[in-house]
Amino acid sequence: MDDFILHINSVNKSFARNIINLRGEVEDERYRIIEDLDLLVPDGKITALIGGNGAGKTSLFNIISGFMKADSGEVLFRNDGSFASLLGLNPEKITLKGVGRMFQDSHIFPDMSVMDNMMIADSDNYGEAPFVSLIQFKRTKKFEIARAEKANKIFTDLLGNPNPLWEKRNELAGSLSYGQQRILGLTRLLMGDYKLVLLDEPTAGVNPETIKQIMNIIRFLVENKRMSVFLIEHNMKVVLELADFCSFMSHGKITAFGTPEDVIGNKEVRQTYLGL
Amino acid sequence: MNYVIHILIIINIYIILTVCTNLLVGLTNLLSLGQAAFYGIGAYLTVLALTVFHLPLIAVILFVIIGTALISLLIAYPSLRLKGDYFILATLGFQLIIYTILYNWVAVTRGPYGIPGIPALKLFGMVDISGLYPFLILSAILALLVVFIFYRLIHSPFGRVLKGIRDDEIAVLSLGRNVTKFKIWTFVISSGFIGIAGMIYATYVTYIDPTSFNLDEAIFILAAVLIGGTGNIRGPVIGAVFVILVPELLRFVGFPDSIAANMRQIVYGLTLVVLMYFRPQGIAGEFKLQ
Repeated sequence: MDDFILHINSVNKSFARNIINLRGEVEDERYRIIEDLDLLVPDGKITALIGGNGAGKTSLFNIISGFMKADSGEVLFRNDGSFASLLGLNPEKITLKGVGRMFQDSHIFPDMSVMDNMMIADSDNYGEAPFVSLIQFKRTKKFEIARAEKANKIFTDLLGNPNPLWEKRNELAGSLSYGQQRILGLTRLLMGDYKLVLLDEPTAGVNPETIKQIMNIIRFLVENKRMSVFLIEHNMKVVLELADFCSFMSHGKITAFGTPEDVIGNKEVRQTYLGL
Repeated sequence: MNYVIHILIIINIYIILTVCTNLLVGLTNLLSLGQAAFYGIGAYLTVLALTVFHLPLIAVILFVIIGTALISLLIAYPSLRLKGDYFILATLGFQLIIYTILYNWVAVTRGPYGIPGIPALKLFGMVDISGLYPFLILSAILALLVVFIFYRLIHSPFGRVLKGIRDDEIAVLSLGRNVTKFKIWTFVISSGFIGIAGMIYATYVTYIDPTSFNLDEAIFILAAVLIGGTGNIRGPVIGAVFVILVPELLRFVGFPDSIAANMRQIVYGLTLVVLMYFRPQGIAGEFKLQ
């Protein structure tokens, strides 16, 4: 168990949905999006999660990060040597325990500057209580300067010097290109104090050059910041080049787990997902 | 000259109202129709502080801010669990409830008869603040103080989180911030400081009744914020000046009194429609209402 950061045990999740039966009547039906799912996510590694649309991948991420409540089961997260349950906690509490999340659609703050997008993500939230900035103005300013320096260092470490995000630090994040917004969303994770990051399709819809940058950033998270990465990915080239492990999800269950080569070479994966 | 000073005092009162409302509407994207109720609560608490407790100026200010903030806290917790249109309806319901209480609790508020002869505020417990010039100075100092405090709040890490909530609540949650807690703070701070506007109004006019704090007034405050623009300090201040000066300018056009009042409503309505089409962020705002 020491080799794993996340232990998902018999998790179930179902939704109620209306169906029309053969007689044309509306019936309620429980639709199981996740069914008795077990998975161990290795510590300090990159683990890919692949599977078709509707397999339940994003729902699983939502359960891990607290945005969705599981019907039953257990999600245990290892931090400081011991496992603690994440189920039942609110998303912000799960984040504070050390689980970061990047969503499929970036979720950056478009009406805020690039720098503010970084600074709001700082794990140290000094000055965010309403009147602290009025009473402790100088101290708050010191913290703000430190945050800006931290953001600058992250930009430089990840993207070199000069880099486009630093140059556009005072521009609205909404004015960045889609690829740059994805990179900003990923870069922002380094402002937090995370042990595990969940990345939902980080390379979706971006050009090959940006995919390379994103892959480098993900490697940086693991190799330099000792984070564990659990990512949903549809680009098999990225999975083969980047991931240490790969899990295949189908109909709400993990049906294959191993090295990316093994899983992508799996007969069921090739037939049902890759269409080969 | 007295007329100009009177207009300046009213502008100062509305600057406080719009700057405070902007924290909710422009920073946190919480469209509230209940801010006139807190304006009224501030006014009635002032009467209580002056006639029952005989407090000096500074104590009245603190009493009104804390009292209004505490009452708003009771409303904030259930209301802020609602989102979007449901939150607007909850604040509308609250506005109507407070108005009904003020109107019908005759034993305390004197209901529709209002409370006349409100005593003057006392500086250091001795010097009466009455007359146009003292009120101009008092209202200007308090408006400047509110503008200063809210400017600092907007440009602080606290304000940054509020802007984050305005842009994308889910992202703020995923960064480990308790969104509900921030919304409650915003509601309570905004409402608490709105109480000051009620205090100035009650002691300046020396008479209050519930009709000064009804739904029309709530819509008027919101219209001022939207016309001026949200998300910064400049917009709400310009909005306050605009909505007070426009009807005064209409006086010089020469409309009969019966038409002038209706013209005021038409001008506000038209301004809002034109702005929503051509400048949704208002005259000087930085945030387009969603």
